Amino acid sequence: MSENKNEPTARRVLLAGDTTLDPLGRLLERGQETLRLHTSAAPYGQVYQILLDPSHPAWAFQPDYLVVWTAPQLTMPSLGKLLRFEFDSATEVYDAALREAEQFADGVLQAATRIGLVLVPSWILPTQERWVQTITWRQGIGITNLLAKANLVLAEKFAVQQNIVLLDTGYWQASLGRPAHDPRMYAVAKILYSQNLFQKAAEEIKAVLRGSLGLGKKVVVCDLDNTLWGGVVGDDGANNIKLGAPDPVGECFHAFQTVLKGLRSRGLLLAICSKNDEKFALSVIEGHPAMALRQSDFVAWRINWKDKAENLLSLAEELNLGLDSFVFLDDSPQERDQIRHLLPKVYTPDLPASPSELAPFLSSLNCFETSSLGKEDFERTEMYQAERSRKQTLDVSGNVENWLRSLQIEVHVAPLRRENLPRAAQLLNKTNQFNLSLRRLDEKSLWDWAEEPSNAAYTFRVLDRFGDFGLTGLASLSFVGTEARIVDFVMSCRVMGKKIEEALLGYTLARARAAGADRIMAPPVDGPRNEPAKAFFAAKFSNSDGATIDVAKVGIPPQISLREER
Amino acid sequence: MRAETALREPSMDQLIAILNEIRPGQNFSGAENFFDQGLLDSLDLTALVAELESRYGVFIDVDEIVADNFRNLAAIKTILARKGVNL
Repeated sequence: MSENKNEPTARRVLLAGDTTLDPLGRLLERGQETLRLHTSAAPYGQVYQILLDPSHPAWAFQPDYLVVWTAPQLTMPSLGKLLRFEFDSATEVYDAALREAEQFADGVLQAATRIGLVLVPSWILPTQERWVQTITWRQGIGITNLLAKANLVLAEKFAVQQNIVLLDTGYWQASLGRPAHDPRMYAVAKILYSQNLFQKAAEEIKAVLRGSLGLGKKVVVCDLDNTLWGGVVGDDGANNIKLGAPDPVGECFHAFQTVLKGLRSRGLLLAICSKNDEKFALSVIEGHPAMALRQSDFVAWRINWKDKAENLLSLAEELNLGLDSFVFLDDSPQERDQIRHLLPKVYTPDLPASPSELAPFLSSLNCFETSSLGKEDFERTEMYQAERSRKQTLDVSGNVENWLRSLQIEVHVAPLRRENLPRAAQLLNKTNQFNLSLRRLDEKSLWDWAEEPSNAAYTFRVLDRFGDFGLTGLASLSFVGTEARIVDFVMSCRVMGKKIEEALLGYTLARARAAGADRIMAPPVDGPRNEPAKAFFAAKFSNSDGATIDVAKVGIPPQISLREER
Repeated sequence: MRAETALREPSMDQLIAILNEIRPGQNFSGAENFFDQGLLDSLDLTALVAELESRYGVFIDVDEIVADNFRNLAAIKTILARKGVNL
């Protein structure tokens, strides 16, 4: 994966468990180029002490994240008894185990109030612990039934706290194809899990952390021939490409498209980069009966005979996104090699040789994690398409002022609230370009900061006659005496170029002055890609210094109507 | 094809590469005792055993997972040879 220069500081991860987790710590510290992690594995067997006691020595490490990985048979002693048939009444130990699960969940909830993010791998049992198959799923008695229910107890309890993520350990185990537990290493060093499982866990935990920091990928650019369908459409003809039933190879490409469509539906952007005749290729995409993806599923395309690196650069410009948020899928090793050399920031994985492996391969890529899923994610492709219509309007009418007026832009302002917090934090962490200070905070830290009496945070939702952009702006103020400082000023690249930033700043200044500020500062932070924000503010500063805003230079543009939601 | 051949023909270089993946930047080739000299610790030993097993398709039993069997390149070569893998 490409490096990301917006992630300069290392994060600290505390590992707590009832078995040895040091191997996981070492694996998390490997591969520093995507995410720098320092880890500390607390001595095993002190899970409750760490969860419940803020003064436990393990907290001296000052972690940003906590991983609590426990074994069900140890953390729920009653489950252990059921497992070994040490009971008078199976029902009694079954119920006792569920109470122990609740107790554990309560401990995690308590710890979650002291830290940014808690990751909890869900409970799995070693496969060598084979139980009585005839009753293992039976309600109120069986061990498999109990384990499933105990994991649900965790999920239900954790639902009240945004910053706890229950991880799918069962999926890790199933995806390995090798044993997830190693009885030898348990005997040697109380290491319950195999090195293979730890490797999988480290990859997945890193993916989740990258997602929470907004470092996940945003755009998937696909080639067409032998990538979205089998064969070369220009040579073979639209009726002869392999796509859909009854051809088994065609089935595989259809399945691959279906997975891509799933990514698009949850907020990833799809684009095309292919050497083909544009008109003909688009007619195939629209007309072929077995295409799962249609033209409306793609936000942009470059179907031409130009160099692919050049096309990717122009896609990045059109979508207003950095190359480090791109994934490029192409069956040709030569094309991949070229992109890797010329555009190393683009993530260019090798595609599997067999078409049957395409869909599983795409599902297994762990670069698409996100901190939350909301309205903005589900409607992202539609928003980008509305943007295309807007730009076409501009081409026709020519005059920018007239065009802006014709858009009928509305900005709805609301204070930071619990219900808009997940999206506000996502925006703060994902935005690289229009971002004054590049401050990155998880949901809890952002909320706690805004709750302080001397601070305030506002969210902005933008709409126009083509559609709803959703929550696309965030500004925050911090007051000291009669001086106010704009701490965060963040705007999604989706709404850039419409003078919306003028309206956002105008509103923010009005709030600062209403609260009694006579001097308003906005010191910019130098980042690799936040030139748009720096340039905007540079034009607003009074001549004397590079941080004090000259209020005479700020005003809400007349074409934009601003509404306050209380 | 080439990758498969490389797997079947293990070499000393490959072994050093495995060790350097576990502990980057250490000079394993000249060391007498990795553990006494602080190049590896007991947790590295478990990672090394797992890596040797998956790389060479061998099984190292619980009573063989002791530092002495993996103390230097020659010792690792000996235990692998006992499992039918010749470096």
